[in-house]
Amino acid sequence: MQWAWLIPVFSFAVAPVIVLAGGRLTALSRVPGGAVLSIAAIGAGFAFFWIALLGWMDASAGTESCYVAAGTEALTCNYERTWFNAGLPGLDGSVALTWGFFVDPLTIAMLGLVTFVALMVQIYSLGYMHGDPRINWYFAVHALFAASMLTIILADSFLLLYVAWELVGVCSYLLIGFWHERPAAREAAKKAFIVTRIGDVGLLVGILLLWREVGTFSMTDAFAAVQAGTMGEGVTIAAALLLFLGAMGKSAQIPFHVWLPDAMEGPTPVSALIHAATMVVAGVFLVARAFPLFEAYNATPLLVVAIVGLVTALVTSTIALVATDIKRILAYSTVSHLGLMMLSLGAFGYTAAIFHLLAHGFAKALLFLGAGSVIHSTEEQEISRLGGLRKVMPLTTLVFAIGAMSLGGIPILAGFWSKDEILQAVSQGRNPAFIVFALITALLSALYMGRALFATFFGKLPQELEHTHESPPVMTVPLALLAILAVGFGFISFNWPGAFGGFGYFVFFHEGHGFEFTWWIGILSGVMAVGAFVFTWMVYERGSISLESARRRFAPLLRVVENKYYFDEIYQWTIDRVVLVFAGFVAFFDRAIVNDIGINGPADTVRRLGVALRLHVTGHLYSYALAMTLGVVALGIFWWLITA
Amino acid sequence: MAWVLFIALAVVTLGGGLAVVATRNVVHAALALLVSLVAVAGVYLLVYAEFLALVQVLIYGGAIVIVLVFAIMLTRSAEYPRTSDNRQWPLAAVAALGLLAVLVPAFLINAVQDTEAKNAAFTGIAQSLFTTWAVPFEIASLVLLVALIGAIIIARSGPGEN
Amino acid sequence: MVDLVWFQLLSAALFVIGLYGVLARRSAVLILMSIELMLNAVNINLIAAAAHMEGFGSFSRFDGQLIAIFIITVAAAEVGLALAIVLRMYRNRSTVNVDEIDLMKW
Repeated sequence: MQWAWLIPVFSFAVAPVIVLAGGRLTALSRVPGGAVLSIAAIGAGFAFFWIALLGWMDASAGTESCYVAAGTEALTCNYERTWFNAGLPGLDGSVALTWGFFVDPLTIAMLGLVTFVALMVQIYSLGYMHGDPRINWYFAVHALFAASMLTIILADSFLLLYVAWELVGVCSYLLIGFWHERPAAREAAKKAFIVTRIGDVGLLVGILLLWREVGTFSMTDAFAAVQAGTMGEGVTIAAALLLFLGAMGKSAQIPFHVWLPDAMEGPTPVSALIHAATMVVAGVFLVARAFPLFEAYNATPLLVVAIVGLVTALVTSTIALVATDIKRILAYSTVSHLGLMMLSLGAFGYTAAIFHLLAHGFAKALLFLGAGSVIHSTEEQEISRLGGLRKVMPLTTLVFAIGAMSLGGIPILAGFWSKDEILQAVSQGRNPAFIVFALITALLSALYMGRALFATFFGKLPQELEHTHESPPVMTVPLALLAILAVGFGFISFNWPGAFGGFGYFVFFHEGHGFEFTWWIGILSGVMAVGAFVFTWMVYERGSISLESARRRFAPLLRVVENKYYFDEIYQWTIDRVVLVFAGFVAFFDRAIVNDIGINGPADTVRRLGVALRLHVTGHLYSYALAMTLGVVALGIFWWLITA
Repeated sequence: MAWVLFIALAVVTLGGGLAVVATRNVVHAALALLVSLVAVAGVYLLVYAEFLALVQVLIYGGAIVIVLVFAIMLTRSAEYPRTSDNRQWPLAAVAALGLLAVLVPAFLINAVQDTEAKNAAFTGIAQSLFTTWAVPFEIASLVLLVALIGAIIIARSGPGEN
Repeated sequence: MVDLVWFQLLSAALFVIGLYGVLARRSAVLILMSIELMLNAVNINLIAAAAHMEGFGSFSRFDGQLIAIFIITVAAAEVGLALAIVLRMYRNRSTVNVDEIDLMKW
């Protein structure tokens, strides 16, 4: 278990090797050499995940470096080393920066998700990216991304987490802009980078604030300070909200959600890994990791988390309902479900949030990869130009249907149980308004999933798509594996006999709790999900219900939603009218005052002075001799004056 | 008698010097320099420095003026008969007179009265030269050698020159 | 007898004439001649003082004359070198006028 740090190191190690030697490796084998290395590294990571899990299960509070953490009451193993000692002038003693890693249930659960999904996506990419000239670069950044993401999960110090957090952002930028020949991809990459960066400023300030209060970057120390009450109420709440700002940026919560749909310009496997299953849940993970901060002092920050999560879930699920690009439907669906996770955390549903994070991760990766399979075969993303693909792509249709139904909450599939957990947590933790809106979100979720499923794979097959073929096995096998999880993953939340006992006894906060099932919520959400799928089936497959009259009646509302509530337009206006004007002023100040006067001014003065002064250097011998003579005369007169 | 000689020699010395710095013709300047230097040898005789007077005539009158005439001949500039002063000559005159104005009062104020010139015998000079001044003497010979080699190297045609 | 101070005044006058020549003439050869005048002025001063100042401090009658001999030696060396430089200058730039040689200006 103390070898868990190797999990990211494998991928960190292969990334530069692929960049430097990938081309040469490719020449040696039929498959791209970079892909082999990257898949081997993440496969090793997946193997070590099991070692870490089994090691943790063997461990007890007495094992070396292991203890029951004060905040979560979960068995935590923390391996810590001193990074470096920095003596600062004017301070007593030195500042010791430590870094290390946690092996606790939260980390282990995330490790399993990230290593497994990354492994599946990388194998799938072998088929999807086949023949791309920059395939080695693709796998190098993929490996670097996986390594950084795993470091975020393992980090036990805020500083290490921040470093990995930014690395993840860079990899996301590189992969969104992977096809940088396309202007849209370039713009989307920049947008994603800049928007998440705004949130990251909050994260950095929050981390520094904690450092000022605690004196170290260690999470354990920070949480201990909160538990002991040595950190003031205002500071704790401010730090929690600042950390949440970073989480909002990464997890694309309103108002930072605008980057995620645009990020779909990247290759589809990238969307599946980064913008569905792993990176975007880093924000949720951060809130969960820093839960002791959020929960302290009557959990005021958690109310903010809950409201932001609910608004995000509701708003983006309506956009997903009208989006026409299959990847964008999935993207808005992702934002919406991230909002649900935040809502769950905000309603003290720690277990439910992590459970949904995992179930959603598997299902959404499956959906994206299924959509990628469609795009790979048809080169078409608009659902209005797709349809009837079940006749030509049966396997993809099956797995996509499983993913969509799982996410939409059809009973006994994984998404049903995880969503049910969240709804239950919200109904217990927050007032009734929250559960009403959460149920509406769940209904919308089922509706847009049904729409994406039936509009793409059912209905009439367009003529130009009749010769489409199923994707190769290298792509469909990962899909099948993910589909199994999307079906069966929910069962781990049940009360199992034996040591495991159920997910509620594995990832928990304060105390484990068994599987609960509130009948009215379960039946209501199940009926809504089934109803939504039947409704969309009738609209898109049977054609027995037409939406035209509803479209006409709600035309203005529809236009607002179709334009994504004008978020992009408002931001553009703000940038044009406020940011750029201010930036122009700053640029003018910098050019005119700082540069021309402050920097070039002294330089120009010296140069002009030099031009004037150099005239005395005539180059004539007798001029110098004359000056010498005059100097001697002056010395003589001076001598006379002082002796007289 | 000594006064008459001194005044005559002083007039010839200074007149020669003035001719050197005033004449337009370089060859005339060289001749005026010779006159001035020989007169200086006469001044040495006035203070009983016979050996120095001899050396003065031999080296200055014989060697140095000849070398200068060689320089004139080898460079053979077309401008020599009507060479002129540079543009700063009035300033040069002011500076020179300024130095004179500093020097003359200094000599007059610090003048030593009522001393008599005395002869220095050849044997005394030789003894002093090879005992007290032996090291500077050797160094002077080295300086001459180095100057000789340097002059040859500088004046010789380099590669690519004809 | 002629007092020491007259020799000294003669020396000063000759020195100043030579100085003017160095400062005012254009031809390098004439500047050399003027330098010889200045050296001679110094020699007159030294020799006259040596002859008159016997018995003042640790002076010996011979020291002034010997320093003059060294000056003459150095002057001979200097003239030889200067002649070489003038020749080189003339060959490179076809002139010996110092105001046309101003490569070292600004």
